[in-house]
Amino acid sequence: MKRFDIVTLESPNRAPLRIEGFLFGEENSKGASIAIVGAMSGDHINQLYVASGLVEYLRIKEEEGKIIGKILIIPAVNAYALNMGEKNWPLDKTDLNMMFPGYHQGETTQRIAARLFDTLKGYKYGVILEGRRDQGMCLPYVKLIKSGYEDLECVKDLGISFIHYRPYEPIETAMLQYNWQLWETKAFSIVFGKNGAIDHNDSDEVHTSLVRFLSKRGLLEHTVFEGRTSNIIDPHNMTLLKASRAGIFISKIRCDTHVEKGEKLGKIIDALTGKRVEDIIAPCEGIVTCQYSHPLIFQNSIAFRIASIE
Amino acid sequence: MGVIEEVFTIDLPVGENFRIQRCRYTSPNAKVENEKRISIVSGIHGDELEGQYLCFLLGEWLRTNSEKIRGVIDIYPAINSLGLDSISRSIPFYDVDLNRAFPGSKNDFLPAQIADGVVNAMRGSDLAIDIHSSNVFLREIPQVRIAKSQEETLVPLANLLNIDFVWVHDAVTVLESTFAHAMNTIGTKTLVVEMGVGMRLGKAYGHQLLDGLLNLMAHEGILDIEPLDVRFPIQSHVGEVAYLNASVPGLFVPVIEHCQMVAIGEVVGHIVSALSGEVLDEVIAPIGGILFTLRAYPIVYEGSLVGRIFGEHQ
Repeated sequence: MKRFDIVTLESPNRAPLRIEGFLFGEENSKGASIAIVGAMSGDHINQLYVASGLVEYLRIKEEEGKIIGKILIIPAVNAYALNMGEKNWPLDKTDLNMMFPGYHQGETTQRIAARLFDTLKGYKYGVILEGRRDQGMCLPYVKLIKSGYEDLECVKDLGISFIHYRPYEPIETAMLQYNWQLWETKAFSIVFGKNGAIDHNDSDEVHTSLVRFLSKRGLLEHTVFEGRTSNIIDPHNMTLLKASRAGIFISKIRCDTHVEKGEKLGKIIDALTGKRVEDIIAPCEGIVTCQYSHPLIFQNSIAFRIASIE
Repeated sequence: MGVIEEVFTIDLPVGENFRIQRCRYTSPNAKVENEKRISIVSGIHGDELEGQYLCFLLGEWLRTNSEKIRGVIDIYPAINSLGLDSISRSIPFYDVDLNRAFPGSKNDFLPAQIADGVVNAMRGSDLAIDIHSSNVFLREIPQVRIAKSQEETLVPLANLLNIDFVWVHDAVTVLESTFAHAMNTIGTKTLVVEMGVGMRLGKAYGHQLLDGLLNLMAHEGILDIEPLDVRFPIQSHVGEVAYLNASVPGLFVPVIEHCQMVAIGEVVGHIVSALSGEVLDEVIAPIGGILFTLRAYPIVYEGSLVGRIFGEHQ
């Protein structure tokens, strides 16, 4: 294992920012290569946990001589934010994952992105461990955007239940996945968990799926169980259940639950009177892939997302 | 007298609602749907206050000159009302920049629902003026920024606004998620004004833009007044913009005032170390011209923007 600084950046007053990489296998290996990027936001704790757990796992596998290709793990991109409970870059509040491909002569976070991207270019596979943009929690799914350079087949080797395969939004053209794909890396994101927390079940599933991917794609000599058959879903397969009232949100189920039409999924209580103001009922059969995770809910917030086949 | 209306509301969890209000001024006895309509928008970013002052000035003028109104004038002083009252640039709770959530959707998280509500409230406006105050880091002269694709339509309108600079820039895909892009897409000619600095008021800029707005509305037939004698802004196509980025981290101390002419090679400021007492770098003007952007918040990292100079082609 080679531990090295990918980016260092001096600060006016605090200790320098260091974005560290952990490289396994031969640096000039002719085999396959993969880079896995962990926490880009300060609240992506699950992503940090999975990435650092992978570093320890691969360290042992390397000692056993099981690494075949070249594997780079970057557990924390935005350590400055992680260390102070911020979500974005602490000074100007910009989102590092909105700065790609970066610009060496630009603003601070554009420069950080550019230096990081210089290292990430050229890898055959690219994995971004992502949290959610909203106040939700979800079971692990693959987010694959249609840039024209994506590779749906390779993503199936993860063995993750759902692959959300959809066109990209304008805002995503500044994100790592889109730009990495344009630079001909087979890049995808795994979105999972709840921001600011660790879900051990989800983290274990993502860890196992990444090990499976490394094995199936010829990067790691290791026999693995087969994963699940992935369902390719687009927004048409998703039913959104909104809270018609605001208040205290009580969920009765966990993500990954198979629900029947008419089943009660949760309720909303008036935050001042304690009166139940809404029951949230499943309008269809399906699997709950995502749910609101904060105990206080806004009117019209999406309380649950149900994936259905029809 | 304007009519205050609530155009978007959503219940918050504990005994409160998030709301967007507007004050609508109309000409007496006219049918709203037949009138030309303009929307004045401020506070998409909760740390930008210049637009609020402009809204006040315009409302004050309209209250005393209501007989001059020939159209519909909607004033939206506080789009991100939660953020404005708590010094939060983004939408609190979600920490999401509202101006990256347009056109929004009813079936997405709160910031996207707010964006959708804003677009629907202003749908049908002929014109919209979206007023920003840069951010807390940079001080700007009054300027309008226009995407290249909108140049032909919007530059003639911007030239009426009594601003100092019209900056036509290349289209960037990520800017398709802004309010201005969403509104221009649905046929509302929308201008983005940047002036001043975040969290502060510069009264002079508010009065300058008020004259520009009155002039624009006079030209558009929304006000029955004579056009004002306004300044003609510098046009970006006649020159170039030079960016001054910090080469080292430290404390940026300007030696030139904002909005001054600088010569090529002139020192704009120093970056100093508070710890060692050293001057770490001199920020030098790479071209001569007007210093139209100057850093207001002194802490800088490598790459932090400390200024922008516009220089005309020789």
